Amino acid sequence: MEKFAKSFPSKPLSWPRSKKWALAGVVGSGNLEVLFEPNTKSPDKMECHVESSIPGYKDSWLAALEDFASNYSVGGVKVGIHDQGADPIVVTLRLRQAYDHLIQKTP
Amino acid sequence: MASNPQNIRRLNKATRLRRVGRLAKGKFVSSKKVPEVLKQIIEPGDILCLEGDNQKQADFLASQLATLEKKDLHDIHLVMSCITLPAHIELFKKGAVKQVDFCYAGPQGKEVAQLLADGKFPVGAIHTYNELYARYYVDLTPRVALIAAVQADRAGNLFLGANTEDTPAIVEPTAFSDGIVFAQVNEIVDTIPRIDVPADQVDLIVEAPYPMHLTALFTRDPAAITDVQILMAMMAIRGIYQEYGVQTLNHGVGFNTAAIELLLPTYGQELGLKGKICQYWMVNPLPTMIPAIESGWVKGIFAVGGEVGMENYTAARSDIFYTGRDGTFHSNRAMGQLAGHYGIDMFIGATLQIDIHGNSSTVSKKRITGFGGAPNMGCQPLGRRHPSKAWLKVGAESRPGPGAIPGRKLVVQMAETFQSGRVPTFVEELEAQDSSIKKALQGVAPVMIYGDDVTHLVTEEGIANLAACRSIEERQAAIRGVAGYTPVGLKRSKKQTQDLRSRGIIRLPEDLGVAPSDVSRSLLAAQDIKGLVRWSGGLYNPPSQFIDW
Repeated sequence: MEKFAKSFPSKPLSWPRSKKWALAGVVGSGNLEVLFEPNTKSPDKMECHVESSIPGYKDSWLAALEDFASNYSVGGVKVGIHDQGADPIVVTLRLRQAYDHLIQKTP
Repeated sequence: MASNPQNIRRLNKATRLRRVGRLAKGKFVSSKKVPEVLKQIIEPGDILCLEGDNQKQADFLASQLATLEKKDLHDIHLVMSCITLPAHIELFKKGAVKQVDFCYAGPQGKEVAQLLADGKFPVGAIHTYNELYARYYVDLTPRVALIAAVQADRAGNLFLGANTEDTPAIVEPTAFSDGIVFAQVNEIVDTIPRIDVPADQVDLIVEAPYPMHLTALFTRDPAAITDVQILMAMMAIRGIYQEYGVQTLNHGVGFNTAAIELLLPTYGQELGLKGKICQYWMVNPLPTMIPAIESGWVKGIFAVGGEVGMENYTAARSDIFYTGRDGTFHSNRAMGQLAGHYGIDMFIGATLQIDIHGNSSTVSKKRITGFGGAPNMGCQPLGRRHPSKAWLKVGAESRPGPGAIPGRKLVVQMAETFQSGRVPTFVEELEAQDSSIKKALQGVAPVMIYGDDVTHLVTEEGIANLAACRSIEERQAAIRGVAGYTPVGLKRSKKQTQDLRSRGIIRLPEDLGVAPSDVSRSLLAAQDIKGLVRWSGGLYNPPSQFIDW
């Protein structure tokens, strides 16, 4: 088990009023869950909390999160990640999916 | 009288067959007498071809050959497509082989690596299929070929069934150079459905005590396709298939390309691409092609081999597949490889390792596999002269000089940045470059697809257009740019990656109009093997290991 938290600078996101959170993925073997929640305290930072069942990949995690924070406007978002051995490649996909779910206009 | 006779081979063949004498009744040998017959027809120093590729092997003859003692079988120059069976390995352990020239050793890759380390694997070279077949006509012509067929008639004509594979490419050079062709068949019957090999090219036939084993090598269960593979498939369809209007192609056999096949009737249909892409294929009868075929996407498929369970389906779809006058499926590995070399605009496949120059290989120190057919298709055919839209477009992007071919084939490598077990696909240097491997191969690393031939790289991060890169450095940056969070990817410069993206050399999913939130398994035209059976109207009969209902 590895657990760490870090914040990354990111452009502020205007959080859609209709949503309380956005979720992608599930906690299951070889998969992970990404949960976006609003964090009004720091609007220009993406605050990440990572829990991974497999230690030793902190560098990859940090690089993926840093890229995501710089490519997308996710300031003011608290990102909770619960990983159960997902391949690193799943991480970016789930982050993008949670982001898409959040900014999608609900019909 | 010529003092220097030029027909020794013919006389020698007659001598060998005379030695067989009463061990055979005409051409027919009983299975119990096979070891004795092999002793009589094989001589030390012979080039011996043992039929066997990744799917079909002369398994009974191989097992009988492996029973011979070294005094009866030695100094053999073995030529064969694939080292696949324990019996093949046994020949090396016995020390019967003085040299081997082959293409692929997938299932026995670990054993081959071990033999090599022990100095018991005297390898000449690792070839691609057509390269080895070509040498059968030049300097590796077999004296004896041990082959496999489905049926023989009383005259000795052979029926090869769906899995023609290598057989004609082995039989012709052997039979027309006074070599001996010895066939194992599943059964001897009065009348065969069609003649694939005429009797006068066959010297000896044995009815094997068990039918040759065929593996369903190209069956991919849609249930195992992941979200990441679907994302990559969507990117490939938009960024390559649509972009270049690819009409003639070959697919590798991985899950990535299976995902593409299953997205054609759904995602491809939504994009309005039916009829605009993917009409002509050189590919085995992949079960995952069924939904696209049933939806009218495909006009023709030629195959190097068959696939277990697809017999009835292919027979019922004879407008799409090549079939004999008996109505059943026909394949041909040499011709299929030729079609895949010259006839198609795109090869797209997967690999285990890609280096920073775009070279790829599946060889590691612990597993010597080889190539098989991928390099015949995953390369630039320098003899191509017919143009097509896709070929000219890629050609233009690579800005050929005044002395270069104006077009290029799309050679696409599609791989996730990490393999299972978090092993990075991208590496600074291929394991195939290891000095001990190179030493055994006359200094040449066993590279499957060369970076200079690759035009595009697809990973879950994006697509890199290597053909459009202007320098070796730029190509490296493009590769690092889509290498994700592997050690190779982490070394990328953000500024350079951005620059390449602004020039369209690197394209991310959002640049291609692919929304990750659309990625869903529900996009697959079939969710599992049962879904494929349903699409086929019950014509596809999956082998039992794929049936879970």
